[in-house]
Amino acid sequence: MTDRVVTFHSVRKLYGSFQALSGLSFSINKGELYGLIGPNGAGKTTAIRVLTGLNRHSSGDVTVLGHQPQDPKLRPLLGYMPQETALYQDLSVEENLRFFGKLYDIPAVELNRRVNDLLAFVDLEKWRSHVITELSGGMRHRASLAAALIPKPRLLVLDEPTVGVDPELRANFWQRFSEMQRDGTTILITTHYMDEAMRCDRVGLINHGQLVIEGAPAQLIHDANVSNLEEVFLKLAKREAPQ
Amino acid sequence: MKLPRILAISKKQFQTLRHDKRTLALMLIAPILAMVVFGYAFGTGNKHAKVMVINQDCGATAQKIIDHFDTDTLSITYNNDTAAAKQSVRNGNAVAAIIFPPSFTADSHPVGPRPPQGAHLELYLDSTEAQQAPLVSSQIATALQDYAKDQEAVSAFAVDTGYAFPAAKNATFIDSFLPGIMAFAVTLFTILLTLLAFVGERTSGTMDRLRITPVTETEIVLGYELAFGIIAAIQASLMLLVATLAYHVLVVGSIWLAALIVILVAVDAQSLGILLSAAAQREGQAVQFLPIIIFPVFLLSGIFVPLQSLPDWLRPLAYILPPTWGIQGLRDVMLRGWEISQIWPILLVLLSFAIVFSYLSIVGLKRARN
Repeated sequence: MTDRVVTFHSVRKLYGSFQALSGLSFSINKGELYGLIGPNGAGKTTAIRVLTGLNRHSSGDVTVLGHQPQDPKLRPLLGYMPQETALYQDLSVEENLRFFGKLYDIPAVELNRRVNDLLAFVDLEKWRSHVITELSGGMRHRASLAAALIPKPRLLVLDEPTVGVDPELRANFWQRFSEMQRDGTTILITTHYMDEAMRCDRVGLINHGQLVIEGAPAQLIHDANVSNLEEVFLKLAKREAPQ
Repeated sequence: MKLPRILAISKKQFQTLRHDKRTLALMLIAPILAMVVFGYAFGTGNKHAKVMVINQDCGATAQKIIDHFDTDTLSITYNNDTAAAKQSVRNGNAVAAIIFPPSFTADSHPVGPRPPQGAHLELYLDSTEAQQAPLVSSQIATALQDYAKDQEAVSAFAVDTGYAFPAAKNATFIDSFLPGIMAFAVTLFTILLTLLAFVGERTSGTMDRLRITPVTETEIVLGYELAFGIIAAIQASLMLLVATLAYHVLVVGSIWLAALIVILVAVDAQSLGILLSAAAQREGQAVQFLPIIIFPVFLLSGIFVPLQSLPDWLRPLAYILPPTWGIQGLRDVMLRGWEISQIWPILLVLLSFAIVFSYLSIVGLKRARN
């Protein structure tokens, strides 16, 4: 029985002639909080889209929770929070959660319980009947997180979940991520914030669609002989694209 | 007010167009397309009304009158079998049957006393063809007048008109026009709503969130079709209510069958909308599809211009538009009172469009994963 939840092996993804992933290899262990960092256009979002089955990879091997990414059996096991709010703007918070819950075939009684728990978890109980357009930016992000958690995922994928979020809400989010990790959820997060990357168990720095370096944040800082993760990032992200 | 700032704004607009070839093409091509389609559709006039002529006249008068028919206006087919010709009219294959009896010449040029009502010809008319039926009547009247002018000793002519669909013998333009507008309105609004809904799903990220869930592409398309089918049923009920109460439009056949046709037209439009949405990256581009849909549907599907009047090369285009079939079906049911046993081929065509478009929509959604 493997403890690997995600395995990428020599994964390539071509969009026409553009190579977004050029032999990406990394893995995520069960219960781990794994951070994927890298400059803009490095391939982070493409890696997530391949992992979640939103896009097919061109070559290489990808295994997620023992399944191929396109395998329908994987879907109930995955939670995904995209960069944008990605909720139906003219539905209320509760209606959005119930809609996505029904797509996972969650029985009515269980769905009621989950919706109430999640609204409490993201502190939106008082806003449950409000449509998304009536919410502030921070509230929309929280509602989006709740929607990602509706299937009780074993793997939660968060694509830059804190972009445009104020410091208080960011702290709030990370507290929730830690709680979920304690409950046994494996989390993959992409971020541009190095203080957030420091909170991860392991970090993978990718550039030009390849893994540049991987390890625990403190270890990476030590190995690079610099004082913080940002310097590691700046040092390694400058490298030229492979020929 | 400074000129450089005005020019900067103008220049920006052209720069935008340089990067948005689709809008540029639409601006240049759409007006020309509209002109061409409008020109051909209306420029040909109301022509080529199909009539069956049964000439049983023992003399030559009937043929001389037939020779006065304008062959551009009437597309004449000769037949010897009166019953078969009338059946053709009832089947919608001809607008009218014109029957000259054996005694036509004798009655119009009497040697002895003239018959009291002159010479009779029989006109068997499909009055539900509101644009072409009056054309046939006026052509006969003109031809009879023209012939009479050339003759001196000629008796009066009388036309005995019979109706293929007696319940619709007083059908007017509005009776035939409103079914067309119903199909057009449902097509337009359903395509617009579907296009915007699907492009919105993509741009807002909800489509990605949907695809992560166990829902399949087929379920997404069928879910949308069910919703728009229900909306179309409500639209159809309201439109039929207004048509009958406000316009007193004829509804000879089953109103439920008419509503079913409207629903099928909506499902066709909805699946076509999903299909087209794949080619639009944002809402603005989706809206650009509208003129491309509106012009052909408005002009070629038989709302204003009878299909028989369209140029031969344009007619096949009319038949690949689902509303063309919807409009014909609605007229068949509402004016002619046809039942499901008579209009099933039209229902089958509308259903086939829905199946083909839905299948292609599902394939398109699946391909988006590549």
